[in-house]
Formats: sequence, structure tokens, C-alpha cells
Amino acid sequence: MLIADPKANAPWEGTLADDAERIRILLADEQSLFREAVRVILEGEDDFVVVGEARDGLQAVAEADRTKPDVVLLDADLPNCDGVKASHLIKEQAPDCRILILSGEEDQHTLIEALEAGASGYLTKDCPLNELIFATRAIHRGETLVPPRMLGPLLAQLIRRRRDQTEALRRMSKLTRREREVLAGLAQGVGHEVIAQQLVISPETARTHIQNVLGKLQVHSRLEAAAFVINNGIMEELVGAER
Amino acid sequence: MTRSLGGRRPRRRPEVWLRHEGDGGAVYDPDTAHVHPLNPSALAIWHLCDGETEPEEMVAAICQVSKMHPDVVADDVARTLVEFHQAGLLAPEE
Repeated sequence: MLIADPKANAPWEGTLADDAERIRILLADEQSLFREAVRVILEGEDDFVVVGEARDGLQAVAEADRTKPDVVLLDADLPNCDGVKASHLIKEQAPDCRILILSGEEDQHTLIEALEAGASGYLTKDCPLNELIFATRAIHRGETLVPPRMLGPLLAQLIRRRRDQTEALRRMSKLTRREREVLAGLAQGVGHEVIAQQLVISPETARTHIQNVLGKLQVHSRLEAAAFVINNGIMEELVGAER
Repeated sequence: MTRSLGGRRPRRRPEVWLRHEGDGGAVYDPDTAHVHPLNPSALAIWHLCDGETEPEEMVAAICQVSKMHPDVVADDVARTLVEFHQAGLLAPEE
């Protein structure tokens, strides 16, 4: 089994656990009825304790900081900072906290963004309750949970992204050090005059460098060059090379 | 023991049908009239047998998602591809 599959495993039978052993859960969903229903279900399990609730993303981040949960159940479409952004912020302040994203529908884009933000699992809200219980325990054990139907397309997308990144790095390797500095400026949305000031060169020289960068990256505009860096996630390599 | 994955890019035979069933699926080979059930992992690997993806790329992507050890994943992928091959579900190498 490569990826945990709720249906391939018998549900783990809960045993009486003291507070220290219980899985501490934070629930974040805009709808109070949903939160209350899930809380009742989860608290029926001996090894779970719900330590907090939040109705929006920012409150979820603050509650995660206050209550130090083991697992956060985060709705993908929270107001005031969605589930993906909230995942990122929670993982920044508590790297060991495990996050399960609950989504209203199977959305490949949200899935990949959530995993990249540090979430450990993704479930749709139409899943049976025992799947939610299984998933909570599984991600607490350190497993990653992806709906099986979404796994193939997810892997295909990751492979495409990795290929694109390899190609982007290949093109970037053609740039001189100065051209990389110029590209970093373009990626930050800075114009050629500011780039010239930063690099202590004339605006004309900066413009020439920009033209060379566009040619070597095979893009047609400064905006496209900035998108090339951001979409391929190579800003870090660019800034690293600049140092 | 880690199996050699080779560099070939496995390709599904186009005439084999895929049917999704719950979380898994099944493929039907009209030439042999056999139905081969696939568990979710095998289904994901089947999805990647597009003639463009190398087994090493499959392993890297699965590791990225599952955080499992590459040797374990490589073994699993290799075993699944051998099973597809032995069942005659993949197109011959060009």
C-alpha cells in the first residue's frame, strides 16, 4: 500500500486513554452546526479530545497557537484566510501539528496547494464519518491521506511540475550572474531604473541585460519573466545564486 | 531488495478499458476478456503509464506525497509494473 486507504484498513478500535494520550483536535469551519456535529462525533471516541474551535482562518491560526493541538481539521474555504493559507501559517508556528483539509468537493488545485502548504491529508465532506475518524488517527500517526480517486492525477501533476522546474533551471543556467540579479529584480516587480540603481549600472545597461534575460528564458515580456520565476518556484535558487 | 526500474516509459495498451469502482478500479482486456481489479495504489500507477513517465519519476512523485522511503516505493512500483506487464496490459516496448 503506497498511500493510506481508509477502506483497506479495519477501523482502529478506540481504547480508554488518559488525557496525555488523547489526540488533541482543533476544529475549524465557518458553520457552527457542522462544528458542533463533528465535535460530538469526535468526542465519542475515547482517544480524541476537541481542544478548540474556530470559525475562520485567522481564528484557526490563533487557536492553534493557543491550544497546541496535535491535529487540526481545517475547512478548505474558510473566510478570512482560507484553509491552504491557514495551513501554511499553522505549520510555520507549529511544525509538528498535523493538518487535515476538509473540502466541499474534489479540487485537484486545492489538494496540491494544501499538501505544499504542509497539510497531511485531504478529505471531501461527503465522506462517511468513520473515514474522518480513521483519517484523523492516520495523519496523527504520520501518514499522508489523499482520496484514492485523486491520487493518479495528483502524481501526474507533480511529475509535470517537476519536469517544468527542471526545464526552467536548465534555461536559468544559461544566465550570467548579473542577468540572474536582473531576473530577481523582475520577479520582485521592479522596473529597469530601480534595477539599475540597485546594481549600480546605467538604465541602458539594465535594459540590455533584461533583453538578454528574456531571450535566454524564451519569454516575451518582463511580466512573463516574472511569472516564469514564480510559477516554477525558482526564486530561492535565483536569490541563492545572487548571494 | 530494491528492484531495477530501468529507464523505459511504460504505456497502457490503448484497447484496455478502465472502469472506476469506488476508490479502486478495474481494467478490462477485450483481447483476453479478463477483468483485472486494481487497488488504489495500482490505479494511480496505471494512470501514470502514459508512455511519457519513467518509473523513477513515478517513485519520486509518490515519495513526495507519501514521505515513504524511496526503496520501499521503488519496490512497490516495480512490482506493480511487472504485474501489469505479465498480465499483458502494457504496450510492447518500441
